Amino acid sequence: MRRGMRKWWSAALVLALAAMLVSACGGSKNGGSSDGGGTQSPATSSSSGSNSGSEAGSSDGSRPTDSPYRDKYDPPVTITTVWGIDPALTFKNGETIENNVATRWALETLGIRIETLWSVTDTNNAFVTKMRLMMASGQQMPDVVTVGDEQLAHDLIDSGLFREVGTLFDAYANEKWKQAMALDPHVWDPYIRNGQRMGIPVLDYAYNHDYLLWIRQDWMDKLGLEAPKTLDDLEKVMEAFKYNNPDGLSPDQVIPLSIGFKNTFNTWMGDPSWVFGAFGTIPEQWNLTSEGTLEWGSIHPGAKQALETLKRWRDKGYIPAEAALWDENKTAEPAVAGVAGIIPGPYWMSGWPLQDTAKNVPHAVWKPYPIPAGPDGKAGRHGTRFTNGVTLISKDAKHPEALFTYQNYLFEHLADPEPGSQWDIGVFKGYDYDLDENGNPVYGDDIPGGAVNINRYWLVRDGARIPDAQMKALLRLADGKEPETRLEKELKNNYGPETPLAAKVLLSQPDISYIDMFSGPPTPTMKERLDYLKKIELQTFSEIIYGQRSIDEFDRFVENWKSSGGDQMTKEVNEWFEQTKVK
Amino acid sequence: MKPDIRRTWPLHLMLLPALAGLIVFNYVPLGGIVMAFMDYKPWLGFDGSPWIGFGHFRALFEREDSLQVIWNTLVISVFKIIFNLLVPFGFAILLNEVRIRLLTRTIQTMVYLPHFLSWVILGGILVNFLSTDGGFVNRVLGAIGIGPIPFLMHGDWFRFTVIVSDVWKEFGYGTIVFLAALANIDPSLYEAAEVDGAGRWKQTLHITIPSLLPMAIVVGTLSLGNILNAGFDQIFNLYNGMVMNKGDIIDTFVYRTAILEGNFGFATAVGLFKSVVSMVLIVCAYRLAYKYANYRVF
Repeated sequence: MRRGMRKWWSAALVLALAAMLVSACGGSKNGGSSDGGGTQSPATSSSSGSNSGSEAGSSDGSRPTDSPYRDKYDPPVTITTVWGIDPALTFKNGETIENNVATRWALETLGIRIETLWSVTDTNNAFVTKMRLMMASGQQMPDVVTVGDEQLAHDLIDSGLFREVGTLFDAYANEKWKQAMALDPHVWDPYIRNGQRMGIPVLDYAYNHDYLLWIRQDWMDKLGLEAPKTLDDLEKVMEAFKYNNPDGLSPDQVIPLSIGFKNTFNTWMGDPSWVFGAFGTIPEQWNLTSEGTLEWGSIHPGAKQALETLKRWRDKGYIPAEAALWDENKTAEPAVAGVAGIIPGPYWMSGWPLQDTAKNVPHAVWKPYPIPAGPDGKAGRHGTRFTNGVTLISKDAKHPEALFTYQNYLFEHLADPEPGSQWDIGVFKGYDYDLDENGNPVYGDDIPGGAVNINRYWLVRDGARIPDAQMKALLRLADGKEPETRLEKELKNNYGPETPLAAKVLLSQPDISYIDMFSGPPTPTMKERLDYLKKIELQTFSEIIYGQRSIDEFDRFVENWKSSGGDQMTKEVNEWFEQTKVK
Repeated sequence: MKPDIRRTWPLHLMLLPALAGLIVFNYVPLGGIVMAFMDYKPWLGFDGSPWIGFGHFRALFEREDSLQVIWNTLVISVFKIIFNLLVPFGFAILLNEVRIRLLTRTIQTMVYLPHFLSWVILGGILVNFLSTDGGFVNRVLGAIGIGPIPFLMHGDWFRFTVIVSDVWKEFGYGTIVFLAALANIDPSLYEAAEVDGAGRWKQTLHITIPSLLPMAIVVGTLSLGNILNAGFDQIFNLYNGMVMNKGDIIDTFVYRTAILEGNFGFATAVGLFKSVVSMVLIVCAYRLAYKYANYRVF
């Protein structure tokens, strides 16, 4: 009897376990085949909803009209999409990325229903992973998707699941958007296949990672030094910083120029590439030559002179003794600690990290300076393309033109609103701004329930940005203008004190930025050889600077580079460059 | 006595979920090995991606630096394996001789702690600590007249630093296993030895060390499987242009060429290569352990 009981118990336990297993398997299977969301039943239901929605849309679209484009769709049309949600993004009033103030606005104002196939909190590359899984399992692609990851963008384009968009853009985009896009025609380059534009670049503010020199102004003033115009001037400044330090630091404590090159000679902060720029090249990227072809900057003869300069600076102790070990963030450490005199970095650096210098050295003042020129009067820095990803439109999208209705509206009203216009003081009341009892706008924590970043709710990341709008606003502020437009107020409130001046300094040298002109998918030789070539380059350059190899080894490096696949790679890169010219 | 399936079937049934999990998560993914022989593209899938035979393996061995990279990996990991075996072994014996329990426990906890630090943090600390430009270690060495040593900027010193810092980080963890084995030694052996007039040294030599040897062989055998893992996160955080020749290992190389580029086929091929080598080594080591230490898993 008792024995039987025990048996029953174990049998029941086994059954329970088996049931759990089955349900777990079943659950994951459902999740995998429909949307991968697992437990997200709302997502599942919305995806089925979207199917019916788009079917309804197609019956509308079959009505004969000259152009399907509308400023407002009635009855509404549906765009399906997927979201990688920034983990820092917050929602209020119980809203979600699927259903929030921006999606309701799109439906009411434009007649566009945004349907979410799935969404994922984008930590550890979750969005990219999920997109890759979606692609691998052959699921229906969303009508519209914005992708930041370059490799994924290339893979999605090459998958053939997305349509050509250039003609759509020409037909439907409004003037403001077209003008913004025309600021640099090369923004399309990465997404061109055989002369066809396959993705719409997402525009971002320009010059974000174009650097300048930040110099300790208090040291300059006490030593009575002039702004360095050439590398020779700069050497005198560094010498004075080191041996006549105004803060009384001993020569071995001072780091006159804080740079590092642990992984690369070309990065966004604490970077030595402008020294190469002074000799007419920027290393580790594809520069445009005077013949209109592309060339790997590190094999340019100027690189040899730059290395000689860096070696001299290292021997004299102007750059950190262990610069070969320092990455970007490490170079900021001595700057913030108050022992570095010069650090190259982007225009927004006075906000972060340099603002913290005052905590260690209260009288420290950092000011932006232009990039000094080399002996031949050349100056250069690496330039950044002002795109932040790409928007792709599915081949199966029923209403591709609706995306343009949506984006045109944002470029018209959101990108740089005039004072007094519809979205001048803010976009959604109670979300990014509110009005107090006197009718004055309030922001941030003064909004009941707190502010949320509604710019991340738009269908395309950050809504609409005109690349030069921010720089132009900064220039107006630098000239002492009181902030009037929304953009100007934002900049005044959110950026460091020296940012407007830095923007002015940056734009005083508009032509010295070398943008990496190769932005296509990796070529076959690149896949096999680029890492090796970069490795011998980093090694050779570091060892030359540290005197372990003679400077003449540079010539041997160039020959080695060319014969080890570099020449082949250059050929392929130029073939790619040729085909990006839109037919 | 033969086990009666009619009586034990509930136990077998209860084993099923775990077995299913093992099959689903450990055996089914083995099918992905075919990627090593394909130019795998996620959107083409397994049926659509072109077969390229041993292309990835050829690419791995055709690079000018591939032998160098494999050699670096072997040198670093062999030394790590040896010292990560010897140091905890010796340390456990020494710690066992400390008779004050509180002291033993405290030391054990302290040496165990670094195991929990990530190399991202330790990398930053080591760069400062070992700096030739005012780093703590070089200042101490300077005080006794030894000129600044470029621990992280010279190939041979880099290997030395990587091995020593890894042993420092992990030996506390390894010690635990040996301390557990020490606790299992039959006390009557020591009593008998004392009666026979053996001192502490003789007891260590003839009782403690022979009793620990089987455990040392087990640990050594298991760690042989890692012979091609020289410690990605450690090296990745510390290496630089000056030590590429002697510091670049298979994993950092794969990270740069395959993971960053989304080249799954190549990453799989290298992973397969590493697994095959590890398996051969483990099988050999197991045979040896079986023969000489009578150690067996099955």
